Amino acid sequence: MSSTITFDAESLPRLEEQKPQTPWGRRTSRFRTVVILAVLIPAMVATMLFWFSAIAGPIIVVAIYLPLQIIAAVLAAVAVRGTKSAGDAVIIVSAIAATIFSLIVLVSVLWSIVTKGMQALSAAFIFQNNEYISPSTPLGYGGVGHAILGTVLIVSISALIAVPLGVMTAIYITEVRGRAVPYVRFFVQAMSGVPSVVAGLFILTVLILTGVLDNSAFAAGLAYSILMLPTVARTAEEVLKLVPDDLRTGALALGSTRARVVLRVVVPAAKTGIITAAILGVARVVGETAPLLLTALKNDKTVLNPFSEPISALPTYIFTNVAQPYPDAVIRAWGAALTLMVIVAVLFTLTRMLSTKRPGK
Amino acid sequence: MADVGAPELRDLQSAATSHRGDRVFNRTITAAAFVALLVLAGITIFLGAQAIPVLQTQGMDFLTTSIWDPPNYGIWGMLYGSLLLAVIALVIAVPASLLLSVFMVFLAPSGVAKVLTNLVDLMAAIPSVILGLWAFYVLAPVSEQWQQLLNQYLGWIPIFQNESGNFSGTPFTAGFVLAIMMIPIVTSVTREVLGRTPPELINASEALGCSLWTMLRYVALPYGRGGLVGGVMLGLGRALGETIAVFFVIKIAFDPVNYYNIIESGGGSVATLIVSKFGEASGPYETQLLLAAGFFLFMGTLAVNVIANLIVNRTGRLQS
Repeated sequence: MSSTITFDAESLPRLEEQKPQTPWGRRTSRFRTVVILAVLIPAMVATMLFWFSAIAGPIIVVAIYLPLQIIAAVLAAVAVRGTKSAGDAVIIVSAIAATIFSLIVLVSVLWSIVTKGMQALSAAFIFQNNEYISPSTPLGYGGVGHAILGTVLIVSISALIAVPLGVMTAIYITEVRGRAVPYVRFFVQAMSGVPSVVAGLFILTVLILTGVLDNSAFAAGLAYSILMLPTVARTAEEVLKLVPDDLRTGALALGSTRARVVLRVVVPAAKTGIITAAILGVARVVGETAPLLLTALKNDKTVLNPFSEPISALPTYIFTNVAQPYPDAVIRAWGAALTLMVIVAVLFTLTRMLSTKRPGK
Repeated sequence: MADVGAPELRDLQSAATSHRGDRVFNRTITAAAFVALLVLAGITIFLGAQAIPVLQTQGMDFLTTSIWDPPNYGIWGMLYGSLLLAVIALVIAVPASLLLSVFMVFLAPSGVAKVLTNLVDLMAAIPSVILGLWAFYVLAPVSEQWQQLLNQYLGWIPIFQNESGNFSGTPFTAGFVLAIMMIPIVTSVTREVLGRTPPELINASEALGCSLWTMLRYVALPYGRGGLVGGVMLGLGRALGETIAVFFVIKIAFDPVNYYNIIESGGGSVATLIVSKFGEASGPYETQLLLAAGFFLFMGTLAVNVIANLIVNRTGRLQS
């Protein structure tokens, strides 16, 4: 170091050449060899045992491969980075194992729905109802047309009730900001924990057993709306909060009344988000079965009247066809599951597409 | 809003409240906001009203005995079964969710983490009836094989005893299905909690030479403890109330109560009891019994859910 500080632009390293130095992240060839060995050896031992020994597969994976992999990772870590990194090796291997486990479950569910469901799919399956169809009727006759219609009817009824109420609850929390905000929020959270079977029991005891309503799409829609409301309210609340306060103050400064600020400025600004909230609400309830079993029962005919007759929906159709001794009935259940899963996937994709847009723009 | 002269939004709004239309608007919105309370109160009152006559005729035996044989009814086995299934599900789902969120937050590259987040959300969106269908036809046969192996190698441990040789309809399989339902719910909360560990704390611990394990142990987990516990309890609330996914893979057994033989056929839960007995309920009294069972189920899940939300809210607003 010279005693006088001089600025010499030439001697400074050029900015674009200066890459961050990360000595801890440097991969030496020794490191690479050790990691590859630590991955390969346990896998090879497990594969050998699987092929050449009589030990059952699950035992090999859980009792031999996983411990072996953890030991190998610990040894590799100690060899490369010293004893303190042994804990990291255990965490990393278990985290990857947990991720793979979850992915296997997800793939297994989706794979079985698609492969088995495709066997049932046909134009007849989508459009026909289940009238005159017994569990032993071969595929090609009858289908889930009535159940799709029932799902659409019941979900629409519940959306008509729960979406306005949910959005109004959110408006109370973010716009009206009354004294009861913490309580309202608390009740909405508590309501989101109501088990679906209890929502069904509630409608059953209040409206059906008392004779106010028949077992019908409307009763089921009411039960669904109990489950849908908290989802809509919580999502709508998050969305309304993202609307910039400038819009509110601006509108108030222009002389708007509070009601107009909310209805003409805030809600339109958060339109996409509110639609997302509604779709999330629909996605939350569309596969619920227990409330339907208690309120809508089932019906093999196509029902259009939402007030007087029992009605089938996709979940109840699946429910009645599971565990039937006839293979064709089971395939029907898988077909209905595929139909339902496609509906859920469409709703899911819609919310993803909408939520990438920011509200207020 | 730090400027002294700037009016707060609230003041501006209350200055505008004198308008008559606004008062109507405010009242309508306020009324709608209390629907949630109304529904909760309604469930408590109406289901509670059905529980009282049941407790009068059956006495406390309704809660402490396990029998479903007219004229005697008791749901102890189902209450206990709900708890047993929830415990099995927790034992599987909590480590899995924690590790999964550690992977997503601290280990995976951001692109992979984003894809995984979407996949976990998709997993949460699978309707329970579809999981039930999958559990009955795909999981249950595999699970029977696992349980035979468990029994063969670890049969000396009391919980893995099985004398009947029947491995279908066991609490193990049902708890496993519940765990699969819980993993995405718990993960979505724990991922967010871990992701909110302040980066300066993480950087500081790394600068001090902490490894990932020590950072998790002494920084991330203590920092997010409340949120993690809350997330687990939200999952637990869901598990206690889940009906259909469990319905197909559990054999409802009242007597004797299967206390700890988790790979022995037989068990149950309050929610599955309601669905399975509703169809064959022979009269208003049996329906009333199921409504009473529903009341106790509601009280249990409400308590778990309220505690979970209190814990989660205390550690900052997190939504599942």
